[in-house]
Amino acid sequence: MLLERCPWYVAGPLLGLVLVGFRAALNKPFGALGGFIDIVEKKPLWSRLGVSGFVLIGMILGGAIYAGVTGTFQPTFSYGTTGGFLPTSPALMVAVLLLAGTVMGFGARLAGGCTSGHGLTGMSLGSSASIAATMTFFATAVVLANVFTWLTGAAR
Amino acid sequence: MKAKLLGLLAGAVFGFVIAWARVTDPDVIRRMLLLKEPDVFLLMGAAIGVGGVGVRLLRAVQFKALLTGERINWVSTPIHARHVAGSVMFGAGWSVACTCPGPVAAMIGQGHLAGIVAGAGLLSGIALKHRFDRRGSAPAPANVSQPAGHSTGPGL
Repeated sequence: MLLERCPWYVAGPLLGLVLVGFRAALNKPFGALGGFIDIVEKKPLWSRLGVSGFVLIGMILGGAIYAGVTGTFQPTFSYGTTGGFLPTSPALMVAVLLLAGTVMGFGARLAGGCTSGHGLTGMSLGSSASIAATMTFFATAVVLANVFTWLTGAAR
Repeated sequence: MKAKLLGLLAGAVFGFVIAWARVTDPDVIRRMLLLKEPDVFLLMGAAIGVGGVGVRLLRAVQFKALLTGERINWVSTPIHARHVAGSVMFGAGWSVACTCPGPVAAMIGQGHLAGIVAGAGLLSGIALKHRFDRRGSAPAPANVSQPAGHSTGPGL
């Protein structure tokens, strides 16, 4: 059961419950970006990582537990090719992924949230800024993913 | 300490579920962005729905946060240019990497090591943003690290 992809109507409500549980315990927004910020800000002092740092560590752990219980843990450097869209040469792939990650990190920090913080938590709270941010990053990503696919002639 | 453990648990459930639902697979995100598969949109919608109803219920019954004792509440952040500008950057990076901060963490846990490259990118983007802020004379707005729409908490 766990090996098969969890359908959206189970996974979505479960994630919703995580947002609610986090709010019920701490009255705080749930998101992944804060953990990355925590790491950047407290780099030499890991012991001072805050709640958001622990959320991020939990996410890594959650992925590991899933892979563990399904017996799918198999370290690989393969990123798929996301449909022939990313370069297949490892060096180029690392460069592109690093650059894309940097742009994402800078942008999310500027916008104050990412897909989980703005897209799930902020949207569930009905925050104006989160609605604007979520519409913007979805529209940008959908348009650019199609443009890049067309430009590179990658398989759709 | 309790708060950090709770963060770890919430993160772990979140990471497990997104791995189970294949949100950590860049090919799945790419199919979503190319509008070939509705699942992740539906998943996010369901999470927002359940989360939105849940937090409003907590607020309606004047629930006090289990660990902090605060009454559950939040404020909606008005839209600033940075929410849109940052989200354009975030969306651009997302369209190439086909992953975002939460899935990056969970995929690392699953043993998909290219996630470390994307994660390193996120960290450097955040560090770069901090450097830009320090260079400017004015300090960064106090709420920059906060997701929109939240009254408390050190950012997402």
